[in-house]
Amino acid sequence: MKKVMDTALLLLLLFFTVHANRTHYRPPGKPTRARCRSPEKETFTCWWEPGSDGGLPTTYALYYRKENSDTVYECPDYHTAGENSCFFNKNDTSIWINYNITVVATNALGSTFSDPVDIDVVYIVKPNPPEKVTVTVMEDKGWPFLRVSWEPPHKADTRSGWITLIYELRVTLEGEDDWEMHLAGQQKLFNIFSLRSGGTYLVQVRCRPDHGFWSEWSSTSYIKVPDYFHREKSVWILITVFSAFIFLILTWLLHMNSHSLKHCILPPVPGPKIKGFDNQLLKNGKSEEVFHAMVVSDFPPVTTSNYEDLLVEYLEVYVPEEQKLILEESKYLHKLEGSTSDNDSGQGSLESHTLLMDKREETKEEERLTGQEGSQTGMGPQRHQKDWDEEKPYAHEDIVSPAMSSGRVKTWPSVFSPLPQYSSGPKSQLSSLKIAKQHCLSDSLFSSYNAEPGHNTKKAIGPSWEFCFSNKQPQLQAHSDVNISSIGRNQAPVFRQSPAHQSTEYVEVLRVNEEDMVLLQPVVLGSSHGKGWPPTHQVEVYSKVKEVDSDNTVLLQKEVMDEEVDRCPCEDQEVNGATESCYTSSDITTTQKPAGCSHAAMPAQDEMVLAASGYVDTATMFTLPTY
Amino acid sequence: MDKVVLLLSVLSLGISSQPITDSQRLFSIAVSRVQHLHLLAQRLFSDFESSLQTEEQRQLNKIFLQDLCNSDYIISPIDKHETQRSSVLKLLSISYQLVDSWKFPSHSLSGGSALRNQISPKLSELKTGILLLIRANQDGAEIFSDNSALQLAPYVSYDQSLGADEPLRRTYDLLACFKKDMHKVETYLTVAKCRLSPEANCTL
Repeated sequence: MKKVMDTALLLLLLFFTVHANRTHYRPPGKPTRARCRSPEKETFTCWWEPGSDGGLPTTYALYYRKENSDTVYECPDYHTAGENSCFFNKNDTSIWINYNITVVATNALGSTFSDPVDIDVVYIVKPNPPEKVTVTVMEDKGWPFLRVSWEPPHKADTRSGWITLIYELRVTLEGEDDWEMHLAGQQKLFNIFSLRSGGTYLVQVRCRPDHGFWSEWSSTSYIKVPDYFHREKSVWILITVFSAFIFLILTWLLHMNSHSLKHCILPPVPGPKIKGFDNQLLKNGKSEEVFHAMVVSDFPPVTTSNYEDLLVEYLEVYVPEEQKLILEESKYLHKLEGSTSDNDSGQGSLESHTLLMDKREETKEEERLTGQEGSQTGMGPQRHQKDWDEEKPYAHEDIVSPAMSSGRVKTWPSVFSPLPQYSSGPKSQLSSLKIAKQHCLSDSLFSSYNAEPGHNTKKAIGPSWEFCFSNKQPQLQAHSDVNISSIGRNQAPVFRQSPAHQSTEYVEVLRVNEEDMVLLQPVVLGSSHGKGWPPTHQVEVYSKVKEVDSDNTVLLQKEVMDEEVDRCPCEDQEVNGATESCYTSSDITTTQKPAGCSHAAMPAQDEMVLAASGYVDTATMFTLPTY
Repeated sequence: MDKVVLLLSVLSLGISSQPITDSQRLFSIAVSRVQHLHLLAQRLFSDFESSLQTEEQRQLNKIFLQDLCNSDYIISPIDKHETQRSSVLKLLSISYQLVDSWKFPSHSLSGGSALRNQISPKLSELKTGILLLIRANQDGAEIFSDNSALQLAPYVSYDQSLGADEPLRRTYDLLACFKKDMHKVETYLTVAKCRLSPEANCTL
């Protein structure tokens, strides 16, 4: 039993000892983070962090060794610098000498050494922050600035040059996080500019030896900048108002001149100007219509309106006894006045006649020739004369058949074709000329009017003969047969009779052949057939030329009336009665213009290319197109 | 007669003040030069230290204490009190000695980088400047009794003094010693300059 008790006791003891060992009694932990600092390069202090104390009271000791010596010294002062520190005073501090410092923690169970630290006092200098930092607001030409001044830490001996400090300060506005750093060098004064008026500024200063560590920042100094706001703002307000004013003026000017500016900057794009060209049609994509539209326009110009200007009412060809032809164009009224050729002053009226080509050429030929000559001589030095002259060689034989293959259908021969009919021979060569002239005029109708309508007009009114033959278009050609004269001489006696009568020879337009020549034939008047040719008593039947169409066809209109239709276009002044008579006579005329004799008398009847027995009224012919 | 004496005294004062003025200027120049050298030494040392491995660095730090700089034979004030107690001339002479002690070892420092090549010429310039300062501050009466001190201490072979075989160790020590010596000279010259300046606050 006692054995059991002994073992139990033994076990208990063991247990307790073991237990006692396991409770926190351990040697102290290693002191860490030993560091030393010197504030003025004369003294220095070392601190350390204690480790775990191991559950037992632990003491700390600092031992140091100086270089080149093995003597170990203990820290002279543990208390001055506070807890866990060691303070080295001036006597113990040597500069430019390396210290080897070790901290030892000791408790009942043991001691622990810290890692040794080698220091040289010169390189561990960390001064105290600058003192007596003052900030004041000062003014420089109306603009405020801050002046910051401070003192070095009192311990640092900068006066003897033992330690050289450089300073740095930082500024910020109240409430902001960004500091503005300024390096001040060795000076103890600094100015800060560009302040915000009315703001509160925070200023701090710190220092550092030339070879050392920066000190801590000094305590913050607050400063409030007074408001110089008003002066600054008023200027801005003035500037803003002024610029707004100018802006308004500019806007108004721009608005006023917007139109002209638009023209200046963006000039209107000229569009295509093609007569008769319709943009819309083109956009629609119907090219045919576009072209049709173009065609409808003036080109080729059919200036019907110019017809009046160009038209010659009628031509009067006067063939005097001397076989001189006086060609003159007279107005229609003149003709009316002196309708009867005999009563005229020797002037015959050239009335449009249908000229028919008669096969009875031979006799006609002679007459033609005679007449031709006469007419020709009367032409005078006119341009067309030449053409006529040119025809001389051909006229002789071809006269008879205008449709001959020579291609020179001479109307002249046909003109004179009816001459033989009147054996009395009072054929005046006037007719030929008249006809020629008529044709010339008609030619003018579908000649190039567009070229010079005015010109044409002038010419038509003037010596129309000129105009006629000036055309290059081989339309109506009246070829003169020069040789007619020679031949005609034979017939001279025949013709001599004619002057006595002063009869008017009329021809009819037979047709227009393929060579664009109007074929004429002497008029066969029923009344004149047997009676010869007393024009004075003759009732004249006129055929009016309605128009000359584009096919170079003289369209005639047959009128059946006894009266002289050509009286119709009368001058207002002279013949009122005639007007009436005109109107009455013109059964067929539906449209007449009383005002202008020259433009009146447009029978509305259908035209006939040939009027077998009717006269072709030149005057009306030319007026027709005015409808 | 009194006036003549006064004139003479004034003149003498003026003349005597001349060297002070000159020395001030010389001091300023010397101080700036030595400061530059010290910065150079600091940069070289830090570059070298950063190039080392962490382990090597710790080892070097441990061993450093046991090594000596070749300028240890020069007795120089090691705290502020001593420094302030020393005369200007003494400070200058010590500075001169220190600079001179680096005349030969600086050759081993040179080479490698452009920075290192600057050390020798700058040291020689500084030595010249200090000599001028000494001459300027020497009174005629005071014979330069430290001429012997000026002479180089018996040349201690660098290799022997350090006694380290490792090239890394050698470079480290050399750079560390150079840095320390430059700082010493800078401090001495600054103190001497401040002592001579008429203003109380000579740091400006």
